Amino acid sequence: MATKVDLELFRRSVPAQVKLVLLALLACLLMVVDAQTRFLEPLRQGLSVALYPFQRVVMLPRDAVVVVQDYSNAAQLLKEESEALQQQRIELSQVIGNAAQLVTENRQLRRLLGVIEDKPIYPAVVVEVLYEPATDYRRRLVFNKGSRQGIGPGMPVIDEGGIVGQVIRVTPFSAEAAMLTDEQLAVPVQLLRNGLRLIAFGSSIPGKVEVRYFSSDTDIQEGDVLVTSGVGGGFPAGISVGTVESVERDAASGFARALAQPTSHPERYRHFLILKVPITTNGTNEVPDPSNPIVGGTHAPVTTN
Amino acid sequence: MRQSRRIESLGSAGLVRTQGMGADEIDLRSDAWVVWGSITAFFLLSLLPWRSMPMAPDLLMLVVVFWAVHEPRRVGMFTGFVLGLLIDVHDAGPLGQYALTYVLACYGAVVLQRRLLRFNLWRQALHMVPVFVFARVVTVILSALVSGTWPGGAWLIGLALVCALWVPIGWLLLLPGNRLASMSASTE
Repeated sequence: MATKVDLELFRRSVPAQVKLVLLALLACLLMVVDAQTRFLEPLRQGLSVALYPFQRVVMLPRDAVVVVQDYSNAAQLLKEESEALQQQRIELSQVIGNAAQLVTENRQLRRLLGVIEDKPIYPAVVVEVLYEPATDYRRRLVFNKGSRQGIGPGMPVIDEGGIVGQVIRVTPFSAEAAMLTDEQLAVPVQLLRNGLRLIAFGSSIPGKVEVRYFSSDTDIQEGDVLVTSGVGGGFPAGISVGTVESVERDAASGFARALAQPTSHPERYRHFLILKVPITTNGTNEVPDPSNPIVGGTHAPVTTN
Repeated sequence: MRQSRRIESLGSAGLVRTQGMGADEIDLRSDAWVVWGSITAFFLLSLLPWRSMPMAPDLLMLVVVFWAVHEPRRVGMFTGFVLGLLIDVHDAGPLGQYALTYVLACYGAVVLQRRLLRFNLWRQALHMVPVFVFARVVTVILSALVSGTWPGGAWLIGLALVCALWVPIGWLLLLPGNRLASMSASTE
């Protein structure tokens, strides 16, 4: 009888030590599996969808402030914006004139050489920054649209300055992008001056991009402009990446590295563009279907819904 | 009536030294609304961007551990695990990092719970310093191993803030249940 009472009082639940070992092991297992594989993506997505309403609710006051601010100085904003657009229009008209001439010339030369290359123009989605995750060592942004708007992992994120980053994870309502300066991101680039193909990585120096793995006698210098090369398929060719700021040549190892300043400004605005580059499961992009009216058109349709 | 029966059964099991402990715990339970409401509020607060400051205190850990001490039947290691997992997903960090921190911190709370209730909030805060430090150090080292970068030392300041905030936040959390009076009476 006495032992029965004892059990009822002290064995009411699992002992704390057992709980600790089980939960701590589970947490460690999750950490290792998450760092090494992608098995946990469904779990993360599920939790992320559950979190989404809470994230939106706590952001409501901020959104309200933004709406009120936008509304109260709408006239001023519109005026500034229209001036900026006007200026851009004039600048662009000159560029377009030049470009049209170059395109005709280019096409003629290509015909002469027998080279056929169609540069596809991809559809794009406008996204807004939902929040910036609080991690110490990674540069990430979470956007307010996800797989329901056709966004998938691997798609490039751009702003008016060029490449901002790459989508690495999506949920139905949000997308997480690694920025150009994130150490986990690598972008195939090309020097605009001489066409040299290189790879740009995120740098441990905040706000910089690093170009690595080229021999120390390579022709690269300060002020060189880096654009995406399109090699590997993840990023369309010809989008601006950065400007080389310094080159370190190490004669002993025979290798050199260069630091570049990104031309995009992910820290300044709230809106970005995600290019819907078709991504296959192995990470390379498909050959665009020529029968698709969107691909290969002269204007990239931008959906804002 | 129930209380006396309980003490009797304790005596019959031969555990005489726990007699006094069980006695002052009967009517000291906080309202479930206060417990879960405060945890939800601090969870929502943790979704806001202020946590991206390197020395931001982890207030959610503080509240969960506080309730693991004062309401061990409602809040425990499992609550900590689930909340930690949600924070991991929000931060887009390694899955399980905060979960492990919260589980370790809650375990410290569960182990020290009986002892802590005999002290006032200031002394409880001092008791919790090693618990918080241990829980955080383990996960900082683990995540540094996984990610390959050391996050610096600003989190120590965050920990100091958490320990310092145990007193004011604990005072606020105990206010609705009118438990402060009984606690100070037990320490005198």
